[in-house]
This record gives sequence, structure tokens and C-alpha cells, in this order.
Amino acid sequence: MRTVWAVAMDLLREAASRKWFLGLAIALTLGLGTLGLSLKMEVVDGALAATRLFGKAMAGNIMAVDVFLRPLFRAAAYVSFYGGLVFGIIACSDFAPSLLSPGRIEHLLSLPVKRWQLLAGTFLGVLLLAVMAAVYGAGGLTLIFGIKSGVWTWGPLIAALLAAVTFAALYAAMLTSALFARNAAVSAAVGFAFFIAGILAGYRTSLTPMLEEGLSRSAFRGVTLLLPRVSALADAGADIAASAPLEVHSLVSLLAGVFIFGLGLLALGAWRFEQRDF
Amino acid sequence: MSIPPALEAHGLRKVYRSLFRRQGQVALEGLGLTVPQGTAFGLIGPNGAGKTTFIKLLLGVVRPTAGGVRVLGGDPEDVRVRARIGYLPERLHLPASWTPPQFLASVARLKGLPAEPRALHPLIERVGIGDAMHRRIGGFSKGMRQRLGLAAALLGKPDFLILDEPTDGIDPLGRVEVRKLLAEELARGATLFLNSHLLAETERICDRIGILSGGKLVREGTLEELRTVQQRWHLRFAPGADAAALLAAGLAPAGEGLWRCDADNPEGLNAALDRARQKGALVVEITREVRDLEAVLADAMGVAA
Repeated sequence: MRTVWAVAMDLLREAASRKWFLGLAIALTLGLGTLGLSLKMEVVDGALAATRLFGKAMAGNIMAVDVFLRPLFRAAAYVSFYGGLVFGIIACSDFAPSLLSPGRIEHLLSLPVKRWQLLAGTFLGVLLLAVMAAVYGAGGLTLIFGIKSGVWTWGPLIAALLAAVTFAALYAAMLTSALFARNAAVSAAVGFAFFIAGILAGYRTSLTPMLEEGLSRSAFRGVTLLLPRVSALADAGADIAASAPLEVHSLVSLLAGVFIFGLGLLALGAWRFEQRDF
Repeated sequence: MSIPPALEAHGLRKVYRSLFRRQGQVALEGLGLTVPQGTAFGLIGPNGAGKTTFIKLLLGVVRPTAGGVRVLGGDPEDVRVRARIGYLPERLHLPASWTPPQFLASVARLKGLPAEPRALHPLIERVGIGDAMHRRIGGFSKGMRQRLGLAAALLGKPDFLILDEPTDGIDPLGRVEVRKLLAEELARGATLFLNSHLLAETERICDRIGILSGGKLVREGTLEELRTVQQRWHLRFAPGADAAALLAAGLAPAGEGLWRCDADNPEGLNAALDRARQKGALVVEITREVRDLEAVLADAMGVAA
């Protein structure tokens, strides 16, 4: 486990020097800082009396502060979920191809490290990166609104962590694809393909009747059955962030699906890694 | 208990297969080699001879199609064996934004060694890049990168050093430093396996040399054995020697008044000399031809072809 951790920490160190992640950290910090400094909320007995953004009063009736925050948190959850996945797919597409690049992989494999440890460490590093970004962004947002409104909720943080878990499943596919074709563009393309297919899979129940009965419908049902329900997880995250009742029936089964999908692909990746010459 | 060889390969065959090529490309064909511990072995040969494939097989980076290899008495894929190996690849990929102590600390962690950056400073000094201790690797010259790679290979005082073109990109004075450093490692008891295009380097560092061509080991032995694989002498006779008689004695003119004698052993040489002396020729000088490694390699390539 120590070796897996060492590989993951090296990936985080490498990420810290990459412009993509420096840019993300700066953008999140600036966004949160600007919001924190420019937003003023006057709360009286749990009701929002006035809201000012950049000193300008925002129109609206007096309402319960938690009611006011719900759509904000919902929108933030959707933006962080889909935006985070797209950003992650682009920014992380080069990690595995870089790990497998000539001159690096031979050196790594000459060290007392097992192949599965390199794979697991890379996956763990990316997962940690996603969780750190989620906690920093959603945690900052929760903190700012908590301080200004007095309403404290775990919702946005849980929604962001759901996004991180979903991204981990997509990254498992990207990592495995790199072991078949060592190319950042291919890795990103695989990530986007599963991202879009996952959105469709989330709406498979409502989309299925649109297809003609027979082979096409069965094929759609069969293929989407295996995919992570990206859009359903985004909806669940938005509901949790907005403290609304979950529209999806079982969050646990959605997460189990993501877990099985990711683990299955990682197992395929580990098998390929063991077989391959470098 | 006897000490196992540093490297023991038998019937090693490697064929690279691809999805679209049924035949596959043969990189190594029945290679057998033993390198005792504590020696310096140099592998030379033309591009595409299979040298890098052989090194990768020693490290478990590629798997043999047939045959087997044991390193330090164990399986090269065993992490306990690999913990005793220091490897410098031909083109080591280095993280551009890291400093040398950060890179070496990362390698140390993966080797299970203490990774305190300050403890790594002496090693960085030893390979001659102490001045660049806090500089980013991205700004390093090829030679500096090579030195840093060498430092990574030397981490943890490995028993077996496998170096692929270790002096590539290093200036002539730097090469002398690297040779000194490798001599120190040999004196420590480490085994050295060197793959280099620089024949002079190999000649100076290694006590045994193997010539690989077309995936086969065509020559192997000490430098002396390789240089004298076919015994050849140059002879000079006192003025007045009959050229026709010398030709009849089995000698051949070698220019500048010299005659050449090819013989498998000293008995053959002396028999040729006796025949020449019976015709009145007087020997005044005998020199054994010693070829440099370049000539040996060229000769071996002819054999391989």
C-alpha cells in the first residue's frame, strides 16, 4: 500500500506543476474570493431581508434564506458536476500516457514496484485530485454561504463528491484505454464517449420508448445497462445540494453501478498492463 | 553456498508480435549468457541488434517468448531482485518541473529507501551536478540529465548496475568522471552491465564483452580473447629473404617489408617460421596483431552476416 500511496503522491506533485491544475486552483480561489467579498446577505430571524452583490441590491421578496439558497446550490451542483467532469477529462487525459511514455515506464518497472501498484497508484492519485478539487470548491461555497446566511448544509459538498466518484469511473475507462493505445487524445476521446453515453444511460428509461422495438431498442437497453448513469447522478447531486427529495429511486444502486463499472475497467486495465511489453 | 551469477540467460528468444503482422519481429534468437557477480560486462552491437530488448528482459519490462533469464539468482520480476538493481535507460524521462532532490526522493520512495532530500545531496554532488541542486530539471542539458539518471541508478548502492549508454551526451571530461565513478562501484563489489555505442568507453570500463548481432550473441569473452580470436602475427626478415620462398612457406606480404602469418596456435606459427628459415630467411622481428574493439566488432559483423 505504501508503494501505491507513493505513486499517487507523485501524481499529485506532478499535477501541482501543471498549468491546468494551477489554473483551476486560481480560478476557484478567485471565484470564491470574489463571491465572498462582493456578496452581502442580511438575514433576520431566518428570513432573507436583503441581498447585495457588488453593492447593488438584488430584487426579490423577503423569503426564507434556505429557500433562497436552494436554486443557487442546485445550479452550483450542476455546474460543478458537468463542468468538473469535462475539465477532469481534458486535464487528466495525459497522466496515463505520460506514465507509459518511453524512458519513464521502463525506469518505473525497473524499480521494486509491481505493475498493478503503478496502475492503482495512478488511479488513486487522480481520485484524490478530483476529491480535493471537489472539497475545495464545494467546501468554499458552503463556507461562504454558511457565514453570510447562517445556513449550514452538507448538500453541495456531497454533490461535489458524487461528481468526483463519477469522474473516477470515467477515469478508469481513460486509464484502461491508455494501456491499449498510449495517446492522450484517445484517452480524452474515450472519457468523452463514456461521459456522453453515461448521460444517455441516465435517461435510458425515458429514451428507450423513442427507439423502435426490436434490435435497436434491445441494443440500447443492453449497452446502457452497463454504463454509469452520469445524468442520474448529476440530478441526484443537484437534489442533495438543494436539500430536495431525491428524484432518483436509489442512490445506492447508482453508486454501486459506478463502482462495478470502474472496478471492471480497472481489472481489464490491470490484465492488459500485466500482459504488455514496454 | 556458491554466489549465483549476476545474470544468467539461456535460449532467450523474443519475438514482438503485433495485431496486423502475423510473422512478428524477432529481436533475440536463442541468446545464452552468464555474467558473474562483481565483473563489468559490456554489450556492443549495431542498431537493432537486440541490445535494448535484452536489457528490458533483464528487468522484466518485456517477457521472453522462449528461454529464461535469472538475475542475481532470482526472477527479474521479483521486487526483491529489482530492489538490488540500478538501471539507467537510454532516454530517461524526467519530470521537467522537479528539482534533482525531488526526483531522487521520488525514486527513493519507490525503492523503499529513506527519501529525505538533504540525505540525497551527497549523491547529487557525486555525479557532478551539485551546482544545479535547486534548479528545475526542465532546464538541464542532456549531459546533466544523464548524470541525474546515473544518480537515480546508484541510489541504495545496488548490487547490479544496468546502464544503457551512460555517457551519452556527457562531455569528454565528464566521461572521465563517470568512468571513475563506475570504477568505484566495481571496487565496492557491484556488477556492471554496460550497453554502449562508444566502443572506447566499453573497452576502458569492461573486462568482458559480448557482441550482439541480429539477435544473436556472435562473440563473447575478455577483451584479450576477442582481440585475438584469430591469431595473426607480423614478421620482419633480414634483407635478402627470398619472397617466393616466404610465399611457399605460407606467409603473405603485409606491406612496408612486413609479412603476415595466420595460424591457429603457436605451433602453426613456428612451423611456418621453420619452413621460411629452411629457405635461408632470418627472422628479425615478430609482432602479434592486436586489434581494437572496432575491428573486432567489424569482424564479428562479417561473421554474423
